Amino acid sequence: ESVFRGTADLDSLLGKDLGALRDIVINASPACPPLCLLVLHALLCQRYQVLSSVHVHSSVSAVPPPLLSCLGPRHIDSHARQHFQLGFTLIWKDVSELQMKFNTQSMCPIEGEANVARFLFRLLGAEPQDPVAATQMDCWIDTAVFQLSEGGSKERAAVLRSLNAALGRSAWLLGQEFSLADIVCACYVLRAGQTTSAPVNVQRWLKSCQNLGHFDCVYPLLQ
Amino acid sequence: DMALNLTINSSNPPLGALLTAEHVKGSVNLSVEEGKDTMLHVSDKVQFSDVNSITRYLARVAPALGLYGSNMMEQTEVDHWLEFSARRLCGQSDLSSALGDLDKALALRTFLVGHSVTLADLCVWAALKGNGESQAKPNSYPHLCRWFLFLSSQVPFSSVGSKWASKISAIKATEKKQ
Repeated sequence: ESVFRGTADLDSLLGKDLGALRDIVINASPACPPLCLLVLHALLCQRYQVLSSVHVHSSVSAVPPPLLSCLGPRHIDSHARQHFQLGFTLIWKDVSELQMKFNTQSMCPIEGEANVARFLFRLLGAEPQDPVAATQMDCWIDTAVFQLSEGGSKERAAVLRSLNAALGRSAWLLGQEFSLADIVCACYVLRAGQTTSAPVNVQRWLKSCQNLGHFDCVYPLLQ
Repeated sequence: DMALNLTINSSNPPLGALLTAEHVKGSVNLSVEEGKDTMLHVSDKVQFSDVNSITRYLARVAPALGLYGSNMMEQTEVDHWLEFSARRLCGQSDLSSALGDLDKALALRTFLVGHSVTLADLCVWAALKGNGESQAKPNSYPHLCRWFLFLSSQVPFSSVGSKWASKISAIKATEKKQ
Protein backbone atom coordinates (compact mmCIF):
# COMPACT_ATOMS: atom_id res chain seq x y z
CA GLU A 1 0.00 0.00 0.00
CA SER A 2 1.45 3.34 -1.04
CA VAL A 3 1.65 6.28 1.36
CA PHE A 4 0.43 8.53 -1.44
CA ARG A 5 -3.29 8.57 -2.15
CA GLY A 6 -3.31 10.83 -5.20
CA THR A 7 -5.11 9.40 -8.21
CA ALA A 8 -2.46 9.42 -10.88
CA ASP A 9 -3.34 8.40 -14.41
CA LEU A 10 -0.48 8.40 -16.89
CA ASP A 11 -2.63 9.46 -19.85
CA SER A 12 -3.88 12.54 -18.03
CA LEU A 13 -0.40 13.36 -16.68
CA LEU A 14 1.62 12.77 -19.83
CA GLY A 15 -0.86 13.02 -22.68
CA LYS A 16 -2.34 10.18 -24.63
CA ASP A 17 -0.33 6.97 -24.91
CA LEU A 18 0.77 6.55 -28.51
CA GLY A 19 1.56 2.87 -28.25
CA ALA A 20 5.28 2.96 -27.52
CA LEU A 21 6.48 2.32 -23.99
CA ARG A 22 7.07 5.56 -22.11
CA ASP A 23 10.68 5.07 -21.19
CA ILE A 24 12.46 7.17 -18.55
CA VAL A 25 16.17 6.97 -19.33
CA ILE A 26 18.56 8.14 -16.62
CA ASN A 27 22.33 8.55 -17.03
CA ALA A 28 24.03 8.53 -13.63
CA SER A 29 27.58 8.33 -12.37
CA PRO A 30 28.38 5.22 -10.28
CA ALA A 31 30.52 7.51 -8.09
CA CYS A 32 27.36 9.23 -6.90
CA PRO A 33 24.37 6.84 -6.97
CA PRO A 34 21.06 8.78 -7.09
CA LEU A 35 19.57 7.36 -3.89
CA CYS A 36 16.36 9.39 -3.96
CA LEU A 37 15.58 8.24 -7.50
CA LEU A 38 15.81 4.64 -6.28
CA VAL A 39 13.27 5.39 -3.54
CA LEU A 40 10.97 6.98 -6.11
CA HIS A 41 11.46 4.02 -8.42
CA ALA A 42 10.23 1.74 -5.63
CA LEU A 43 7.18 3.97 -5.14
CA LEU A 44 6.46 4.03 -8.89
CA CYS A 45 6.60 0.22 -8.93
CA GLN A 46 3.80 0.15 -6.33
CA ARG A 47 1.65 2.34 -8.56
CA TYR A 48 2.45 1.23 -12.11
CA GLN A 49 3.70 -1.72 -14.10
CA VAL A 50 7.32 -0.64 -14.51
CA LEU A 51 9.83 -2.30 -16.81
CA SER A 52 13.11 -1.56 -15.01
CA SER A 53 16.57 -2.19 -16.37
CA VAL A 54 20.15 -1.29 -15.48
CA HIS A 55 22.90 -0.89 -18.06
CA VAL A 56 26.58 0.02 -17.91
CA HIS A 57 27.86 2.48 -20.49
CA SER A 58 31.26 1.88 -22.11
CA SER A 59 32.59 5.06 -20.42
CA VAL A 60 32.52 3.18 -17.09
CA SER A 61 34.68 0.14 -16.41
CA ALA A 62 33.73 -1.73 -13.23
CA VAL A 63 30.46 -1.18 -11.42
CA PRO A 64 29.95 -2.73 -7.94
CA PRO A 65 27.28 -5.49 -7.89
CA PRO A 66 24.83 -3.56 -5.63
CA LEU A 67 24.58 -0.90 -8.33
CA LEU A 68 23.69 -3.51 -10.94
CA SER A 69 20.84 -4.92 -8.85
CA CYS A 70 19.61 -1.61 -7.42
CA LEU A 71 16.32 -1.70 -9.35
CA GLY A 72 15.47 -5.21 -8.16
CA PRO A 73 15.49 -8.51 -10.04
CA ARG A 74 15.22 -8.59 -13.83
CA HIS A 75 11.68 -9.07 -15.14
CA ILE A 76 10.85 -12.51 -16.53
CA ASP A 77 8.58 -11.11 -19.23
CA SER A 78 10.75 -8.13 -20.14
CA HIS A 79 10.48 -9.09 -23.81
CA ALA A 80 6.79 -8.16 -23.75
CA ARG A 81 7.14 -4.40 -23.50
CA GLN A 82 3.41 -3.87 -24.08
CA HIS A 83 2.70 -5.39 -20.66
CA PHE A 84 4.24 -2.37 -18.98
CA GLN A 85 3.05 1.20 -18.43
CA LEU A 86 6.44 2.77 -17.83
CA GLY A 87 10.05 1.99 -18.64
CA PHE A 88 12.75 2.92 -16.11
CA THR A 89 16.21 2.56 -17.64
CA LEU A 90 19.20 3.41 -15.48
CA ILE A 91 22.54 3.70 -17.28
CA TRP A 92 25.72 3.93 -15.22
CA LYS A 93 27.76 6.37 -17.21
CA ASP A 94 30.67 8.76 -16.71
CA VAL A 95 28.58 11.96 -16.52
CA SER A 96 29.40 15.07 -14.50
CA GLU A 97 25.72 15.75 -13.84
CA LEU A 98 22.86 13.27 -13.64
CA GLN A 99 20.64 13.50 -16.71
CA MET A 100 17.19 12.22 -17.66
CA LYS A 101 15.88 11.82 -21.18
CA PHE A 102 12.15 11.36 -21.61
CA ASN A 103 9.94 12.20 -24.56
CA THR A 104 12.87 13.93 -26.25
CA GLN A 105 10.66 15.16 -29.12
CA SER A 106 9.14 17.81 -26.88
CA MET A 107 11.21 17.87 -23.72
CA CYS A 108 14.80 19.03 -23.23
CA PRO A 109 17.12 16.63 -21.35
CA ILE A 110 16.63 17.26 -17.63
CA GLU A 111 19.78 17.76 -15.56
CA GLY A 112 20.11 17.33 -11.82
CA GLU A 113 19.02 14.53 -9.53
CA ALA A 114 16.51 16.75 -7.70
CA ASN A 115 14.76 17.85 -10.89
CA VAL A 116 14.39 14.25 -12.02
CA ALA A 117 13.08 13.45 -8.52
CA ARG A 118 10.47 16.20 -8.92
CA PHE A 119 9.42 14.66 -12.24
CA LEU A 120 9.08 11.14 -10.80
CA PHE A 121 7.16 12.49 -7.81
CA ARG A 122 4.68 14.20 -10.15
CA LEU A 123 4.12 10.82 -11.81
CA LEU A 124 2.85 9.64 -8.42
CA GLY A 125 0.28 12.44 -8.47
CA ALA A 126 1.28 13.36 -4.94
CA GLU A 127 2.45 16.96 -5.30
CA PRO A 128 0.93 19.29 -2.69
CA GLN A 129 -1.85 21.40 -4.24
CA ASP A 130 -1.36 24.27 -1.81
CA PRO A 131 1.17 26.81 -3.21
CA VAL A 132 2.82 27.32 0.20
CA ALA A 133 3.34 23.59 0.84
CA ALA A 134 4.51 22.97 -2.74
CA THR A 135 7.05 25.81 -2.50
CA GLN A 136 8.25 24.76 0.95
CA MET A 137 8.81 21.30 -0.52
CA ASP A 138 10.90 22.76 -3.36
CA CYS A 139 12.78 24.96 -0.92
CA TRP A 140 13.84 21.94 1.21
CA ILE A 141 14.90 20.10 -1.94
CA ASP A 142 17.04 23.06 -3.08
CA THR A 143 18.55 23.29 0.40
CA ALA A 144 19.55 19.63 0.20
CA VAL A 145 21.04 20.04 -3.26
CA PHE A 146 22.89 23.32 -2.85
CA GLN A 147 23.90 23.22 0.81
CA LEU A 148 23.93 19.61 1.98
CA SER A 149 25.42 18.00 -1.07
CA GLU A 150 27.67 20.77 -2.37
CA GLY A 151 28.23 22.97 0.67
CA GLY A 152 31.11 22.85 3.12
CA SER A 153 30.98 21.40 6.63
CA LYS A 154 29.62 24.64 8.14
CA GLU A 155 26.77 24.75 5.63
CA ARG A 156 26.01 21.06 6.23
CA ALA A 157 25.86 21.64 9.97
CA ALA A 158 23.50 24.59 9.44
CA VAL A 159 21.17 22.47 7.32
CA LEU A 160 21.14 19.71 9.93
CA ARG A 161 20.19 22.32 12.55
CA SER A 162 17.30 23.64 10.46
CA LEU A 163 16.14 20.09 9.66
CA ASN A 164 16.27 19.33 13.38
CA ALA A 165 14.23 22.42 14.23
CA ALA A 166 11.58 21.65 11.59
CA LEU A 167 11.38 18.01 12.69
CA GLY A 168 10.93 19.12 16.29
CA ARG A 169 7.68 20.79 15.22
CA SER A 170 6.22 17.98 13.12
CA ALA A 171 6.78 14.37 12.09
CA TRP A 172 7.68 15.23 8.49
CA LEU A 173 9.25 18.28 6.88
CA LEU A 174 5.96 19.61 5.54
CA GLY A 175 3.94 18.73 8.62
CA GLN A 176 1.74 15.67 8.83
CA GLU A 177 2.31 14.50 5.24
CA PHE A 178 5.35 12.55 4.06
CA SER A 179 6.58 14.20 0.85
CA LEU A 180 9.38 14.49 -1.66
CA ALA A 181 11.10 16.92 0.74
CA ASP A 182 11.57 14.00 3.17
CA ILE A 183 12.75 11.64 0.45
CA VAL A 184 15.36 14.00 -0.99
CA CYS A 185 16.62 15.43 2.31
CA ALA A 186 16.84 11.98 3.96
CA CYS A 187 18.77 10.55 1.02
CA TYR A 188 21.20 13.47 0.95
CA VAL A 189 21.73 13.21 4.73
CA LEU A 190 22.35 9.46 4.37
CA ARG A 191 24.77 10.05 1.52
CA ALA A 192 26.67 12.70 3.49
CA GLY A 193 27.27 10.05 6.20
CA GLN A 194 27.74 10.78 9.92
CA THR A 195 24.12 9.94 10.56
CA THR A 196 24.92 8.62 14.04
CA SER A 197 26.14 12.08 15.04
CA ALA A 198 23.07 13.80 13.54
CA PRO A 199 20.77 15.75 15.90
CA VAL A 200 18.12 13.73 17.72
CA ASN A 201 15.04 14.76 15.68
CA VAL A 202 16.92 14.06 12.46
CA GLN A 203 17.84 10.58 13.70
CA ARG A 204 14.25 9.84 14.71
CA TRP A 205 13.03 11.04 11.29
CA LEU A 206 15.59 8.88 9.42
CA LYS A 207 14.26 5.92 11.43
CA SER A 208 10.67 6.82 10.46
CA CYS A 209 11.70 7.02 6.81
CA GLN A 210 13.36 3.61 7.11
CA ASN A 211 10.24 2.19 8.76
CA LEU A 212 8.12 3.13 5.74
CA GLY A 213 10.04 0.52 3.75
CA HIS A 214 10.59 2.68 0.67
CA PHE A 215 14.23 3.26 1.60
CA ASP A 216 15.14 -0.45 1.67
CA CYS A 217 16.81 -0.12 -1.73
CA VAL A 218 19.09 2.65 -0.44
CA TYR A 219 20.86 0.93 2.46
CA PRO A 220 22.77 -1.71 0.45
CA LEU A 221 24.38 1.15 -1.50
CA LEU A 222 25.61 3.02 1.57
CA GLN A 223 28.24 0.46 2.60
CA ASP B 1 -7.15 37.85 -0.05
CA MET B 2 -3.97 38.55 1.91
CA ALA B 3 -1.48 40.98 0.41
CA LEU B 4 1.96 39.63 -0.37
CA ASN B 5 5.00 41.75 0.28
CA LEU B 6 8.28 41.40 -1.56
CA THR B 7 11.25 43.19 -0.05
CA ILE B 8 14.32 43.30 -2.23
CA ASN B 9 17.95 43.85 -1.33
CA SER B 10 18.58 47.04 -3.31
CA SER B 11 22.36 46.59 -3.26
CA ASN B 12 21.97 43.19 -4.95
CA PRO B 13 18.60 43.34 -6.74
CA PRO B 14 17.18 39.89 -7.57
CA LEU B 15 16.19 40.47 -11.21
CA GLY B 16 14.39 37.11 -11.56
CA ALA B 17 12.15 37.84 -8.57
CA LEU B 18 11.50 41.42 -9.75
CA LEU B 19 10.57 40.21 -13.24
CA THR B 20 8.24 37.55 -11.85
CA ALA B 21 6.66 40.16 -9.56
CA GLU B 22 6.03 42.40 -12.59
CA HIS B 23 4.43 39.51 -14.48
CA VAL B 24 2.02 38.55 -11.69
CA LYS B 25 1.14 42.02 -10.37
CA GLY B 26 -2.13 42.21 -12.33
CA SER B 27 -3.27 38.84 -10.89
CA VAL B 28 -1.85 38.93 -7.38
CA ASN B 29 -2.09 41.52 -4.61
CA LEU B 30 1.63 42.16 -4.26
CA SER B 31 3.68 45.13 -3.07
CA VAL B 32 7.39 45.51 -3.75
CA GLU B 33 9.72 47.61 -1.64
CA GLU B 34 13.44 48.12 -1.27
CA GLY B 35 15.20 47.03 1.87
CA LYS B 36 18.22 45.17 3.18
CA ASP B 37 17.36 41.53 2.48
CA THR B 38 15.41 39.86 -0.28
CA MET B 39 12.32 38.22 1.20
CA LEU B 40 8.78 37.35 0.13
CA HIS B 41 6.50 37.73 3.11
CA VAL B 42 3.47 35.44 2.66
CA SER B 43 2.29 35.42 6.28
CA ASP B 44 3.81 35.69 9.73
CA LYS B 45 4.58 31.98 9.56
CA VAL B 46 5.69 31.74 5.93
CA GLN B 47 8.50 33.63 4.23
CA PHE B 48 10.69 32.71 1.28
CA SER B 49 14.13 34.22 0.90
CA ASP B 50 15.80 32.47 -2.04
CA VAL B 51 14.98 33.64 -5.54
CA ASN B 52 13.90 30.25 -6.89
CA SER B 53 11.39 29.77 -4.05
CA ILE B 54 10.06 33.32 -4.46
CA THR B 55 9.52 32.89 -8.19
CA ARG B 56 8.00 29.41 -7.75
CA TYR B 57 5.54 30.69 -5.17
CA LEU B 58 4.51 33.71 -7.26
CA ALA B 59 4.03 31.47 -10.34
CA ARG B 60 1.87 29.09 -8.29
CA VAL B 61 -0.45 31.76 -6.91
CA ALA B 62 -1.07 33.06 -10.45
CA PRO B 63 -1.69 29.72 -12.21
CA ALA B 64 -3.63 31.28 -15.11
CA LEU B 65 -0.42 32.93 -16.36
CA GLY B 66 1.18 29.53 -16.96
CA LEU B 67 4.56 30.72 -15.67
CA TYR B 68 5.29 27.23 -14.29
CA GLY B 69 4.37 25.52 -17.57
CA SER B 70 1.10 23.96 -18.65
CA ASN B 71 1.72 20.27 -17.83
CA MET B 72 4.07 18.18 -15.71
CA MET B 73 6.63 17.82 -18.49
CA GLU B 74 6.86 21.59 -18.90
CA GLN B 75 7.02 21.99 -15.11
CA THR B 76 10.03 19.67 -15.10
CA GLU B 77 11.71 21.64 -17.86
CA VAL B 78 11.13 24.83 -15.84
CA ASP B 79 12.77 23.15 -12.81
CA HIS B 80 15.71 22.21 -15.02
CA TRP B 81 16.25 25.82 -16.15
CA LEU B 82 15.80 27.25 -12.64
CA GLU B 83 18.66 25.07 -11.39
CA PHE B 84 20.62 25.78 -14.57
CA SER B 85 20.41 29.53 -13.97
CA ALA B 86 21.37 29.22 -10.29
CA ARG B 87 24.18 26.74 -10.85
CA ARG B 88 25.68 27.49 -14.24
CA LEU B 89 24.98 31.16 -14.89
CA CYS B 90 25.22 32.84 -11.47
CA GLY B 91 28.63 33.38 -9.93
CA GLN B 92 30.49 31.74 -12.82
CA SER B 93 33.18 33.63 -14.71
CA ASP B 94 33.46 31.40 -17.79
CA LEU B 95 30.00 30.90 -19.20
CA SER B 96 30.94 29.45 -22.58
CA SER B 97 29.64 25.91 -21.99
CA ALA B 98 26.42 27.17 -20.38
CA LEU B 99 25.85 29.66 -23.21
CA GLY B 100 26.52 26.91 -25.76
CA ASP B 101 23.90 24.68 -24.11
CA LEU B 102 21.40 27.54 -24.08
CA ASP B 103 22.04 28.34 -27.74
CA LYS B 104 21.43 24.70 -28.67
CA ALA B 105 18.22 24.54 -26.63
CA LEU B 106 16.90 27.71 -28.30
CA ALA B 107 17.73 26.68 -31.88
CA LEU B 108 14.14 25.64 -32.61
CA ARG B 109 12.33 27.51 -29.87
CA THR B 110 10.89 30.97 -29.29
CA PHE B 111 10.67 30.41 -25.52
CA LEU B 112 12.75 28.01 -23.41
CA VAL B 113 9.72 25.93 -22.41
CA GLY B 114 6.43 25.45 -24.27
CA HIS B 115 4.91 28.21 -26.36
CA SER B 116 4.78 31.11 -23.96
CA VAL B 117 6.90 32.83 -21.35
CA THR B 118 7.71 30.83 -18.20
CA LEU B 119 9.92 31.12 -15.12
CA ALA B 120 12.62 29.48 -17.23
CA ASP B 121 12.78 32.53 -19.52
CA LEU B 122 12.55 34.95 -16.60
CA CYS B 123 15.31 33.39 -14.50
CA VAL B 124 17.73 32.65 -17.35
CA TRP B 125 17.19 36.11 -18.85
CA ALA B 126 17.71 37.70 -15.42
CA ALA B 127 20.91 35.74 -14.79
CA LEU B 128 22.30 36.79 -18.18
CA LYS B 129 21.24 40.40 -17.72
CA GLY B 130 22.99 40.48 -14.36
CA ASN B 131 26.09 38.58 -15.40
CA GLY B 132 26.81 37.16 -18.82
CA GLU B 133 25.24 39.60 -21.26
CA SER B 134 28.62 40.82 -22.48
CA GLN B 135 29.83 37.25 -23.13
CA ALA B 136 26.83 36.40 -25.32
CA LYS B 137 28.24 37.44 -28.70
CA PRO B 138 25.71 37.14 -31.56
CA ASN B 139 28.13 35.41 -33.94
CA SER B 140 28.88 32.66 -31.39
CA TYR B 141 25.37 32.24 -29.96
CA PRO B 142 22.88 33.36 -32.65
CA HIS B 143 19.79 31.62 -31.20
CA LEU B 144 20.50 32.74 -27.66
CA CYS B 145 20.96 36.34 -28.83
CA ARG B 146 17.74 36.28 -30.86
CA TRP B 147 15.84 35.05 -27.79
CA PHE B 148 17.59 37.52 -25.46
CA LEU B 149 16.85 40.54 -27.68
CA PHE B 150 13.27 39.40 -28.30
CA LEU B 151 12.57 39.28 -24.54
CA SER B 152 14.57 42.44 -23.80
CA SER B 153 12.35 44.43 -26.15
CA GLN B 154 9.16 43.47 -24.29
CA VAL B 155 7.54 44.90 -21.19
CA PRO B 156 8.23 44.05 -18.35
CA PHE B 157 11.74 42.88 -19.37
CA SER B 158 12.55 46.32 -20.78
CA SER B 159 11.28 48.20 -17.73
CA VAL B 160 12.92 45.88 -15.19
CA GLY B 161 16.09 45.95 -17.27
CA SER B 162 16.32 49.71 -17.46
CA LYS B 163 15.33 50.25 -13.84
CA TRP B 164 17.51 47.60 -12.17
CA ALA B 165 20.17 46.34 -14.54
CA SER B 166 21.79 49.80 -14.75
CA LYS B 167 21.89 49.76 -10.95
CA ILE B 168 23.63 46.37 -11.01
CA SER B 169 26.31 47.56 -13.43
CA ALA B 170 26.87 50.64 -11.27
CA ILE B 171 27.30 48.42 -8.20
CA LYS B 172 29.68 46.12 -10.10
CA ALA B 173 31.76 49.08 -11.29
CA THR B 174 32.13 50.30 -7.70
CA GLU B 175 33.09 46.79 -6.52
CA LYS B 176 35.82 46.60 -9.16
CA LYS B 177 37.30 49.94 -8.09
CA GLN B 178 37.55 48.83 -4.47
